[in-house]
Amino acid sequence: MGKRALIVDDNGNNLMLEKDLLEVAGFEVLVAQDASSGIAIARKEKPDIVIMDVRLPDMRGSEAAKILRQDKETGNIPIVFVTASVMESELKEAKTIANSGFIGKPINTRTFVTEINQFIKG
Amino acid sequence: MKNKKRDKELLKGRNFFEGIKFWHKQIAELGDLKSKLKRNKAESKKLPQKIQNQVEIRTVSERMIIKQLHQEIEQRKKMERVAQDVRNYAESIINTVREPLIALDQDLRVVYVSRSFYDVFKVKPEETVGQLIYDLGNKQWDIPKLRELLETILPKKTTFDNYEVEHDFSTIGRRIMLLNARQIERGMGKERIILLAIEDITERKGIEAGLEKTRKELEVIKKSADEVSEFSESVINTVREPLISLDKDLRVVTVSRSFYEFFKVKPEETVGQLIYDLGNKQWDIPKLRELLETILPQKTTFDNYEVEHDFATIGRRIMLLNARQIERVLGKERIILLAIEDITERRKIEKGLEKAHEELQGLAAELKRATRAKSEFLANMSHELRTPLNSINGFSEILYDETFGSLNEKQKKYVEYVLTSGKHLLLLINQILDMSKVEAGKMKLTLSSLPMKSLLNDISLLVADMVSKKKLQMLLEIAEDLPNIEGDELKVKEVLYNLLSNAIKFTPDGGKIGMRAKKADAKIEIEVWDTGVGIASENMGKIFEGFFRVDTPYSRVTEGTGLGLPLSKKLVELHGGKFFVESEGLNKGIQVRFTLPIISRKVV
Repeated sequence: MGKRALIVDDNGNNLMLEKDLLEVAGFEVLVAQDASSGIAIARKEKPDIVIMDVRLPDMRGSEAAKILRQDKETGNIPIVFVTASVMESELKEAKTIANSGFIGKPINTRTFVTEINQFIKG
Repeated sequence: MKNKKRDKELLKGRNFFEGIKFWHKQIAELGDLKSKLKRNKAESKKLPQKIQNQVEIRTVSERMIIKQLHQEIEQRKKMERVAQDVRNYAESIINTVREPLIALDQDLRVVYVSRSFYDVFKVKPEETVGQLIYDLGNKQWDIPKLRELLETILPKKTTFDNYEVEHDFSTIGRRIMLLNARQIERGMGKERIILLAIEDITERKGIEAGLEKTRKELEVIKKSADEVSEFSESVINTVREPLISLDKDLRVVTVSRSFYEFFKVKPEETVGQLIYDLGNKQWDIPKLRELLETILPQKTTFDNYEVEHDFATIGRRIMLLNARQIERVLGKERIILLAIEDITERRKIEKGLEKAHEELQGLAAELKRATRAKSEFLANMSHELRTPLNSINGFSEILYDETFGSLNEKQKKYVEYVLTSGKHLLLLINQILDMSKVEAGKMKLTLSSLPMKSLLNDISLLVADMVSKKKLQMLLEIAEDLPNIEGDELKVKEVLYNLLSNAIKFTPDGGKIGMRAKKADAKIEIEVWDTGVGIASENMGKIFEGFFRVDTPYSRVTEGTGLGLPLSKKLVELHGGKFFVESEGLNKGIQVRFTLPIISRKVV
């Protein structure tokens, strides 16, 4: 009955950190290092949550999120943006996506899983 | 009878009775003539016949006398007619002159009165002629001055001129009369006639007084006009701006002192000259000609005409010309007042200013670009620094938490150092970013109602751990009536946390720190104090500069960023509050006091 999470981040260290934290908490974790492969995995695997960096090498996280929202099968998956950015514009981008949330970098390893779980329930 | 008497007067002694006397005398002379005649006849004719004709001659003589008498009567009648004419003439003169005339006999009784006298004094002929002058019109003429004139002066001098008598006449009120009198001695007899002319000069006096007043006023006006012209002259000579006045032929009338000084000309080579001829014809400027000869006659004034010209004496200058054409009140002459301002320097300065302004604008734009680049850079830097920090802090936290297996004591201690340093670095990055945001005016407040009493308590609980670690005593004095305020929760908490952690940091073990909060008018006032190292007065000015660190045995480089105080001040000011730091000196502790408005003024 483990939950499945997809993490999309081009930074391998971050990917690993978040993956570790979620796996310790009992998640099944899928990973992708760019938006297009992330979208492909999401369509195929239909995870319970998508954790995505705002800045990705092939497109903006918000653009990838819009694509997921357009697809019937991925349209309702909650998306959590994780970003190191403090720029207002990036925060606004995230806010335009329905059923989405925001976690700033650096993440708090002790509360990260709790925050993710809240988005899944919400 | 009256007329006879009047005739008598007017004929000046040639009255009838005297005429008769005269003729009686003539008749006596005729007797002599008769005897003479008789002698002559006797000589020429024969004696007998002389006797014979005696009676006849007598008869003839008598006839002659009678004839002569008749002739005399005729003559008298003729004279009477002449007298009548003269009388009519005199009368008409008397009645024509507007001036009341009165003739008195030697007893000062009225003999004759002109019509105007009746008119002026409103008396009737029947109550006038024959009356004593003083009794006229209810004794209104009984004037002491008149008595003196008629009874004392006139007998001595036979004439007086222009005696003024002011008197309150019962019929006509208070008047001023001008009296002129002639005493006329009659040729025959000893009777005198006094001719008295009375002129009412009350009105004239009034007019004269008015004239005098007007004259005085005119004098005053003239004086003030003189003063005005003196004043305007002094104005002309006082103003720094060269002024010149020209007549209608454009010849110089007056010139201000500054004109001479400025254009280096002398009065003797200026006044009376045609303006164009001044100072070696240096004023023969086409633009000036146009202004004076074309524009001014049409418009009577022109303002701020710029003329750039190469003057022989002073070189190339830009002049600002202002002119007024003044119509003189007296006479039809026009005067042209021309003010000349040398704006060469001003132009230079203006151009310099314009250039400076442009440069400044460029600089401002540059600064704006630089500021934007700086905040973009900082934002990017922040992003780039956070990403590795995410790994550093994240992994060291996982290690420290022993998520994937236990560490030995040393490993755990070192991982803790990595984590502490990573968190410090993160704080530094965040504060630098916040400072640059505040400075760029990009820091936005998210306002909400803050329950200050509970917020202050929460903060004190947050630091309670650190306080007990250093065995400090923390005193809280929070007023019961401390109201909620409008503010940005995160930022207010950040300020309080900064100040409290500073207090803890800079106070030696066993010391005291505290927090006071109270309402003060439309604000709340919060003070965070300690008994720590304080600040030396010479360093007071540096504490808001950023990165200022008090080097003390209690605080090490790893603690604090040196940005907490300046950032806190900026955040308080962003809320519309004030921020003060007080310290009595090194090791005397510190009090940081700040205010926050209860209702935010939304300082941008």
